[in-house]
Amino acid sequence: MNWRDYQALQKVTNLGDRFVSYVDEGSGNNTDDDPVILLHGIPVWGYLWHQVLPALATHHRTLIPDLLGFGFSDRRDCFDRSITCQAEMIDQWMEKLGIAQAAFVAHDIGGGVALRLATLFPHRVSRLCVMNTVCYDSWPIELMLQFGHPGAKSLASASKTITSLGVALKSGFATSPNSEVMDGLLAPYHTEVGKLSLIRNAAALNTNQTTEITDRLHRIEVPTLVLWGEDDKFQLAKYGKRLATDIPGAQWEPIANARHFVMLDQPTPVATHLQSFLSATTAAVNSV
Amino acid sequence: MFGSNQTSPVAEYAATGEIERVYHEVRQTLRVRGINLIFRTWAGHKGLLPILWDTVRPNAETMMFEQSSDQIRAAAVELAKPLGDLGAKQQTSLGPSQAFQLHEILKLYHYINPKLLLIASAVRQGLDGELSIKRYSATEPAERIAPGVPAEMAALEMEDENPSDEQLQTLFSDITETLSLRSINSDYRSLALWPNYLDAVWRNLKPKVQSPAYTAAADHLRERSRRLASELPYPVPLSRTRLEGEGIDFDETLRSCETFEQLLPGLILNIAMCLRDWQPDDALLQSPFPATAISPNSQNDERPEFTGGAK
Repeated sequence: MNWRDYQALQKVTNLGDRFVSYVDEGSGNNTDDDPVILLHGIPVWGYLWHQVLPALATHHRTLIPDLLGFGFSDRRDCFDRSITCQAEMIDQWMEKLGIAQAAFVAHDIGGGVALRLATLFPHRVSRLCVMNTVCYDSWPIELMLQFGHPGAKSLASASKTITSLGVALKSGFATSPNSEVMDGLLAPYHTEVGKLSLIRNAAALNTNQTTEITDRLHRIEVPTLVLWGEDDKFQLAKYGKRLATDIPGAQWEPIANARHFVMLDQPTPVATHLQSFLSATTAAVNSV
Repeated sequence: MFGSNQTSPVAEYAATGEIERVYHEVRQTLRVRGINLIFRTWAGHKGLLPILWDTVRPNAETMMFEQSSDQIRAAAVELAKPLGDLGAKQQTSLGPSQAFQLHEILKLYHYINPKLLLIASAVRQGLDGELSIKRYSATEPAERIAPGVPAEMAALEMEDENPSDEQLQTLFSDITETLSLRSINSDYRSLALWPNYLDAVWRNLKPKVQSPAYTAAADHLRERSRRLASELPYPVPLSRTRLEGEGIDFDETLRSCETFEQLLPGLILNIAMCLRDWQPDDALLQSPFPATAISPNSQNDERPEFTGGAK
């Protein structure tokens, strides 16, 4: 699926004076199943999940919002993009869509959002899978720190900036991604508005917003899977192992031959692990 | 756009010093999230944009300017009706989010383009010496609008002027050649974010823009703008002596104003035709972002203040 086909799937909803674009595919095998919400990280958007979406949507109602400031959600230069605000946005968005609770599958800063939801909005989270997520003081990485300097907007045009970012991101892959995928991941940011939005998103990265929930991780009671591209240079596997230790009952699942963008490096194993986890825990959640 | 002395327009991200100051004021005063080609072009000529903007700004801040723009917009909707339906929306497969964002962009241009035409007309007539008379006394200031971008307005987002996509390059070339443009306008660059939509728009628009009825409608809008510009409350004291004293090529400046004044009525009509696929005419007659008035005697502290940009 190319990014434009993916974009055409997106619906939109207003949350006050901001809007969120999201994909909502599949209907689930039975009415007891809660939906699955996939959260992306920085600097990408919901398209990140396009290779695992078909497998998940076959069995689950699968929703993929673009976080505020990302993808084709609101990108105007007039709001906070921190993971604190993103978690609040997800809470409001679920309310707007009438979704009481969902299974969260989340990557990178999307994982930070999901961890905040699981600790601070626990009624929203039925199951949790985090992949190569930011946590503790694992972030922001140097690449994003430099990118998030407010002066970065004046350094180069959007096309040059995004081209450079694309080159830097390749180290997040175990094998070179094809150009269609790479172009798609950064497509929303090739305009000046997109570039500036991404800079603002990077400027909003704040390690305090995961360190402040460290002491709450042990209170997460929902089934949790920590899935990790074990060769990740951006979010090291040691952080994933620590999460799997701190969250009671969490399952640690390293994925070989995968770096940060584990769902693109190894889409089939990732989809299989997710499907197994969701199937197994559906029964567990429904039996409670 | 500027004949033999053409320089590159100044992008927003590249603006510094006085240009950055003016861009900020333009956004706040015209109530728009981005800078259109007319200002980016003027910014490309050393010293020109601050003079033109500072001269026209007192009028741009007034409710009369806003209402005159509203009149041009409403006239464009009426003039678009006999030109026929465009049907581009119906011919393009757009997802719900795409359709929402495209509609918001169309509303943005529907709002801003009449203001740009009015500015082009005011500046051109100012250069011709037609607007040098002070109409309002200091004790009788014109009612002003509250500055600032409407919260619900979309970002002014656009495709690169030289897109990497070959089909888009071809489309841009066809547009610029057909309309004899030196640069592709912001409107087309924004619609290019949905290439299939722009393709449908242009496919339907191209035969219309070459018709006598379209030319007559554009001429009517231009005349309307000139008349409304001549009725704005404050003088626009621009002259050959003044500009040349600042080292600015007067004839080039005049030509640029004439070019934009020639071009903008068509763009206003085009957006009106596009929007008629989305909204009923009655709704389009109203401003998409109505302005509110502030006290005529409000002092400078209520004007947009530029505090940054020391580079």
